[in-house]
Amino acid sequence: MQIKPILAALRRHKAGTILIALQIALTLAIVCNALFIIQERVSRLSRTTGMDESNVIAIANRYVGPATVFGPTIKTDLAAIRNMAGVEDAYATNSYPLRNGGWSMGVRLIPDAKKEITSTTLYFVDDHALRTLGVKLIEGRNFNAGEVIMLDPRKSTALPQVIITKALAQKLFADGKSLGKTIYLSQEGKPSTVIGVVEKLQVPWVGTWAGSFDQHAVLLPATLDANYQNFLVRARPGQQEAVLKALPKLLIDTNRMRVIPEEGGVRSFEDVRRRAYETDRGMAILMGIVCAVLLAITAAGIVGLSSFWVGQRRKQIGVRRALGATKGDILSYFMTENFLIALGGVIVGSALAYGMNQWLLEQFEMQRLSLVYVITGVVALLLLGQAAVLAPALRASRVSPVEATRSV
Amino acid sequence: MLKMSHLAKVYRTEVVETYALRDFNINVKEGEFVAVTGPSGSGKTTFLTIAGLLETFTGGEYHLDGVEVSKLDDNARSRIRNEKIGFIFQAFNLIPDLNVFDNVEVPLRYRGMKAAERKQRIMDALERVGLASRAKHYPAELSGGQQQRVAIARALAGSPRLLLADEPTGNLDTQMARGVMELLEEIHREGATIVMVTHDPELAARAQRNVHVIDGQVVDLAEDPRFHAASHLADTAS
Repeated sequence: MQIKPILAALRRHKAGTILIALQIALTLAIVCNALFIIQERVSRLSRTTGMDESNVIAIANRYVGPATVFGPTIKTDLAAIRNMAGVEDAYATNSYPLRNGGWSMGVRLIPDAKKEITSTTLYFVDDHALRTLGVKLIEGRNFNAGEVIMLDPRKSTALPQVIITKALAQKLFADGKSLGKTIYLSQEGKPSTVIGVVEKLQVPWVGTWAGSFDQHAVLLPATLDANYQNFLVRARPGQQEAVLKALPKLLIDTNRMRVIPEEGGVRSFEDVRRRAYETDRGMAILMGIVCAVLLAITAAGIVGLSSFWVGQRRKQIGVRRALGATKGDILSYFMTENFLIALGGVIVGSALAYGMNQWLLEQFEMQRLSLVYVITGVVALLLLGQAAVLAPALRASRVSPVEATRSV
Repeated sequence: MLKMSHLAKVYRTEVVETYALRDFNINVKEGEFVAVTGPSGSGKTTFLTIAGLLETFTGGEYHLDGVEVSKLDDNARSRIRNEKIGFIFQAFNLIPDLNVFDNVEVPLRYRGMKAAERKQRIMDALERVGLASRAKHYPAELSGGQQQRVAIARALAGSPRLLLADEPTGNLDTQMARGVMELLEEIHREGATIVMVTHDPELAARAQRNVHVIDGQVVDLAEDPRFHAASHLADTAS
């Protein structure tokens, strides 16, 4: 290997060498973190809600007019929806997974404990919810119709019976056995008994802030007596399109005193999912573009500098050839030279990548960068460097030894 | 050692063929010191580049150390250049980014020689040209004469069978040129075969034998009318 003389020669071309190494270092730092963000977003995108999402329709509904009590109106609406052709079941709720808005609350096992054990979301539902959502009850029982009350949202939200998710049960109880046990959802000290456990149900929020409790949900047997209601509807297989189209008219025919937004008022759950992750998907695409552009710029930089150096050293290459270098020796000289510069770049870049991650960690609640991304980035950049230098190096290897005898 | 028979070198473009060498014959024996002279454009540098396997030729035969070189591939030609030929160029052709030691080391590295042997040979060669104390200097820190001595050390370090020198004193003042020439003579006395291209008659006179090239051919000066015309003019002028 010719590492020593190559390093000696590079020391005499510090500016170009340092610039390219720095470019590689910065690219590595940004690409590692960008790839990490992409992975984080993609894994967020691919989380499941615990629902059987196909054939579910979500309706955002606001009652208007002088009414102050909404219980009877909600009941009439639900009866109309449930009787509609093609509908399997429906219920009214304050929120649902991926809605990106809802209630969160601290959960305690001791009523006057200063600090809650964890956070959870609250879904106010009725006995039709589990069937409509397609959520699997793995322990205990569902609510019965008699347990479901109309609840003034300004009053206490603590109800005597609750269904919780398995993830919440495992967080609250060391053995994960929660059935029949008591939890406290408010600081008023009103107990709630766990009567059922569902396998999985995601919270409404998809952001990082809810990441620590994204499978913690408490289902309460109540309909909020409020003008704002979400109706979730399960259509029979193959009927979703027809139900989706017919629902607005049915609701208006049932009661005109309401507003259903034209855009997003009645939408399939695929649409709910798509909109919920729009930012994440956009961020992943943006980061992908940033990576591609940066890698292209770095590759262009390497091609540019290598081509310049080959042009500048034509005579020197000719002399080396005259002194016995084969074409392969010249090729390997330029490839090794690039490898050494890139190696310097990726060593600095790895440190920069962790530094940048530390900053993102503090600023944007990102997770710690995994070593796998740094290793992948290092290998990718070394390969990119070798690929970028290949054409100029091949050109150098074709310089004739007779070049040594030419003046300038 | 070096034998060319009916050698031709033609440069072709779409419209014209130019003969740089035509029916070129030369035979240099082992241990000889031959000066190749001739006016500018006569083809003496082309001869040297072909002799040094830096360039291919168009026709004829060339045997170097008993090997017919026209059939050799690029790698084999590189190997012969590395092992059998030492080059001394007019412009020294040292690599500016490398110090004296690393410059002399270049051909030895291509030979795949072990570090200890390389170091020994480099120091021996530098001792021989009187520059061992400048091993860590860069070419830009040396005088022209010293640079050419480093180039000679580089050529000698590989113990070549043949030294090819292209106007070795062309870029040097008289005093430095004399020093370099004395060094070449000393190397020759130690048994090296040297072919030197020059247009300096004084230098050529110090070689054992002179070969004159005119219009791409080796000529016998005694019989060539072009030489007589030129020398007649020179006589008149003086």
